[in-house]
Amino acid sequence: MAVMAAVPLPTAAYATPTPIAAARSTGTASRAGDQPTVLAASSLTKVLPAITPGARFSFAGSDTLAFQIQQGAPADVFAAASPRYPQQLFRQGLVSQPRPFASNSLVMVVPRANPAHITGLADLTRDGVRLVIGDTGVPVGDYTRQALARLGLSDALRNVVSLEPDVKGVTAKVALGEADAGFVYVTDVRPVRGRVRAFRLPAAARVDVEYQVAVVARAPHPAAARAFVRRLLSPAGRRALVDHGFGVPAG
Amino acid sequence: MRHGFTTMQALALSLALAFLVLPVVAVFLQVSPAAMLSQLGGDAATQAIVVSLRTNVIADIVIVVVGTPAAWLLARHRSFPGRRVLVTLLELPLVLPPAVAGIALLVTFGRNGLLGGQLDALGVTIPFTEVAVVMAIIFVAGPFYLRQAITTFESIDPRLVQAAATLGAGPWRTFRKVVLPLAMGGLAGGWALAFARGLGEFGATLIFAGSLPGVTQTLPLAIYSEMNRDLDTALAIGGLLIVVAALVLLAVKMIPSWNPTPSSPPPSARRSATSPSTSR
Repeated sequence: MAVMAAVPLPTAAYATPTPIAAARSTGTASRAGDQPTVLAASSLTKVLPAITPGARFSFAGSDTLAFQIQQGAPADVFAAASPRYPQQLFRQGLVSQPRPFASNSLVMVVPRANPAHITGLADLTRDGVRLVIGDTGVPVGDYTRQALARLGLSDALRNVVSLEPDVKGVTAKVALGEADAGFVYVTDVRPVRGRVRAFRLPAAARVDVEYQVAVVARAPHPAAARAFVRRLLSPAGRRALVDHGFGVPAG
Repeated sequence: MRHGFTTMQALALSLALAFLVLPVVAVFLQVSPAAMLSQLGGDAATQAIVVSLRTNVIADIVIVVVGTPAAWLLARHRSFPGRRVLVTLLELPLVLPPAVAGIALLVTFGRNGLLGGQLDALGVTIPFTEVAVVMAIIFVAGPFYLRQAITTFESIDPRLVQAAATLGAGPWRTFRKVVLPLAMGGLAGGWALAFARGLGEFGATLIFAGSLPGVTQTLPLAIYSEMNRDLDTALAIGGLLIVVAALVLLAVKMIPSWNPTPSSPPPSARRSATSPSTSR
């Protein structure tokens, strides 16, 4: 089955391609071995390669990545769009102490043509609006549910026409104009600026989207992994994150 | 030397067997059959089974009803200009990555797609509906049946068809009374492969139809969605799909007349199959 980056197929998720074989194949070529393999949340697709161009990246929903690490994927770094999975893996002894490195905020997006004439969040409960959100367990999906609950708009969930496995699925369906509205991170809006309009959420509905990074306990390239995290937390890393629309922790 | 080569072959076979079979066995070692059955009774699995069955049955009816006469026409006319291009176009989805199929369907039948305006005028929206799931299945699985049906019809001795016509049978009667009974086994084999492919459809469905439990979430999509929430359910669905796939494959192998490659086509068919006219 073919695997496209935007849509991880089940084979990709199950691909725990015998850690030994994978480690060996990179180990023999010592130059390639210096580069860490980074499993990162889909919303980091643009920024991380800008910070460390040499690393090998695998972008997917944070929950999927956590599952891959639990199944023994030969990864060095885990960068997730929520504290939940890094903390869970930390408790299981699978990753080092996670550190916060970025923050993000949730926005509502509608296609530029705005076929459902949505002018505010309250319109989401109107009959026939086609809303696309992240699946439960996927950070963006959980944040979306939290935000809607705080606004008293959980009713809008009955208008959901698709539960996407990661934030890119939501962005794509709104950008293509198939969905009337969706919830994504503000950083996801930039690449599709020409195709969507974004609505900031009222202060009452703001949810803290915190990104955490951790080194995988059985990382094949621990030194490279630590270097990656250092660079991410460095002034250069922070600058790149801010340039891409992320917030960074104080200090 | 010869001994060494034999050993190498045996080694290669063992390696292939272990690599291909182990992951399948591992699924069943993770969850006991009893636990699997109880997981399959859960909400997520039951809804996905219903969606998968309904969409595949509808898709397969369309595939057979449209594919059979189309294949018969192509099998009877083996040497018109552009036939090769035509058949290649029909078979293209066989080798297309499912994600490409999904994007292609979306930009054709989506709201802003090629036919989006016309569909909208009719008050029809396809993405995110069960219709989209059915279309995705037809798109990726249909060519499996079509290809097999063409091969099967081509292997029928044309003299039998001529004889039926000589005896006064019209084209429909000839097709129904002579061609169809002879082709039934091959068509069933083609259908079985299309069914197996359709049941496993994932990428095109996710992109074109989305994933919503009870509406568009088929069994493979449910595996993906449940994987992090409830691994046992994901494994149970995986086990179910393995069993179904094995049964389909076994049926194709055990029922000789279902075999996709007819073992001994009649002499005339063999001759015409290798004649230059068909290879054009």
